[in-house]
Amino acid sequence: MRLMFILLLPLLWSPLVASATPAFDAPPERSTDGGFTLNWETDTAVVLEQATGPDHADARIIYEGSDTSTVISGLSDGEYRFRLRAAEADDWADQATVTVEHHSLARAFGFFAVGAIVFLVLIGAILRGRPRD
Amino acid sequence: MTGLDDPILPTSIAWGLLAAFSVLWVVLGWWLGRRNKTAEDHMLAGRNVGLALATATAMATWVTANTTMTAPQLALQLGVWGMLGYSLGALGLILFAPLARRIRELMPRGFTSGDFIRLRFGTFTWRVFLVVSLIYAFGWLVSMAMAGGVLINALAGIDYRVGMTVILTVCVLYTLLGGLRAVIGTDFIQTIIIIAGAAFIAWLTIDKVGFEAIHFNLMEERPELLSLLFPAAIMFLFNNLLFGVGEIFHSNVWWSRAFAFGRHVGFRAYLFGGLLWLPIPIVAGFIALATPALGINVPAADMVGPLVAAEVLGLTGAIVVFIVVFAALASSLDSLLAATSDLVTRDIYRGHIRPQASEQNQFRATKVIVVLLGLLTWLAASYRGELPIVGSLAELLYFTGAFVASAIWPIVAGLYWKRANPQGAAWSMILGSGLGLASYFMIGFYVAALVGAAVSLAVMVLATWLAPRPFDWDRLARDDTQVMGSPA
Repeated sequence: MRLMFILLLPLLWSPLVASATPAFDAPPERSTDGGFTLNWETDTAVVLEQATGPDHADARIIYEGSDTSTVISGLSDGEYRFRLRAAEADDWADQATVTVEHHSLARAFGFFAVGAIVFLVLIGAILRGRPRD
Repeated sequence: MTGLDDPILPTSIAWGLLAAFSVLWVVLGWWLGRRNKTAEDHMLAGRNVGLALATATAMATWVTANTTMTAPQLALQLGVWGMLGYSLGALGLILFAPLARRIRELMPRGFTSGDFIRLRFGTFTWRVFLVVSLIYAFGWLVSMAMAGGVLINALAGIDYRVGMTVILTVCVLYTLLGGLRAVIGTDFIQTIIIIAGAAFIAWLTIDKVGFEAIHFNLMEERPELLSLLFPAAIMFLFNNLLFGVGEIFHSNVWWSRAFAFGRHVGFRAYLFGGLLWLPIPIVAGFIALATPALGINVPAADMVGPLVAAEVLGLTGAIVVFIVVFAALASSLDSLLAATSDLVTRDIYRGHIRPQASEQNQFRATKVIVVLLGLLTWLAASYRGELPIVGSLAELLYFTGAFVASAIWPIVAGLYWKRANPQGAAWSMILGSGLGLASYFMIGFYVAALVGAAVSLAVMVLATWLAPRPFDWDRLARDDTQVMGSPA
């Protein structure tokens, strides 16, 4: 039994060794405001790439360095693919896909209208200026 | 592309600045407050603050961690609408102008916003209001202490907890020494620093990067930030306005000033303060839009302002940002410490624990409470990122949005509607906060205050319409100096 444990030890150890290669830390799957934060775990400098198609044809590098997160914002509706690798490595170590689907404009203007009504009632109440009898 | 891995401000310069401004604020606090003899001197600066100081303190207190650090964050996340929407927070100050006049007329001897709610609506509503008010005050205190730590860490690489501890200690010290007189006096100097510094940074950013480069890169990489039909930003517009209105209308920070300003000063001071404040978030937020053009990595959204300024302007920029944000933080932290300790002294200590407390007892209690508040804030801010809500500046602030926006209508109805229903006032805060929080988690941070304010309005109108309760306005002036603990 003890021998078995010693033999299995390297297997138990392996996830810790693997964390030396960069990996995304719980990337979001969806965004309704075109923005999110990507976090990753790494011991070295990384390269982060962003693309819109599955073949990464339009890929561009959006970060190179030792930070472990980046704030993405202002994306239009669509599917965005991110790949991560160590700066000195050639192979990509991890990837994540985030779907951006903004709130509908009907919903947005619905909230806008509610806000406008509350604001106008507020102005009205204050402008009357005197206690109501 | 650069990030956090190489701080721009050398540690020795950061410590030098921190030490110099800490000594300046503490000495000023001691000097300004040296003649305070009574609780009324300490809490309300003798009730005779003039227009220039009054305008400066209104404007400087409203320029907070929110303005200098969250405004760029919102520009980065919600684009042009986020930036403009944030500046609508000025309407909170402007709309408070007539309220300040009415408060001074109705309660010439009043001390706190809690006094008003207790006399106007009775004990139950007063207690609900105190819970709402203290949740907000504490959230704001913690967010500003966090902002101090984040700023010093982002610019100089000094450990977050060390920076946060130094800023908090300085503010507690000079608030303790000088009371509201010191808070208002330092606010005046801090206002001048904030306006000059923010204008300098924006001018240099435009000069160095240029509008064309900023626009081109945004269109390429973050197009929604320039879109006028950005759905989340459209939802955010009135949310932020109502958040600002809620913050100002209910908070004792602004009520204590309404009581402290000389007669006929409050209206003009809040009006001018609001107009002066209006461009600050646009100037402070605009620089975040230069992020794509500069190729800066932003590891956390609330760090974008200091990072961009330091990147564009190098060492000089980092020094200017450091001084401006330190001034902005100090001017708000001290106000909030002073106003919250007044609220706790009057409404909790005297209102619930020792109704017969003498003037001297209250004077001492105010000081002990400032220290206790400082300690509690330090404890909560120490656990940034480890507690569920205390994640980032914005998360914490927007969380309080549901609470404060639901307090708008009890205040407005209390001041202007003779037949406002007291139970309706309490339930408008309870239901407004509850549904506002639900929308925060179910839809997004950008609707919490809006839903809170809308629900609160509906409950207040309905309750007053179904069960009107006439109120004698003269009771406010007559009863506001009487012993507490007895319901109105």
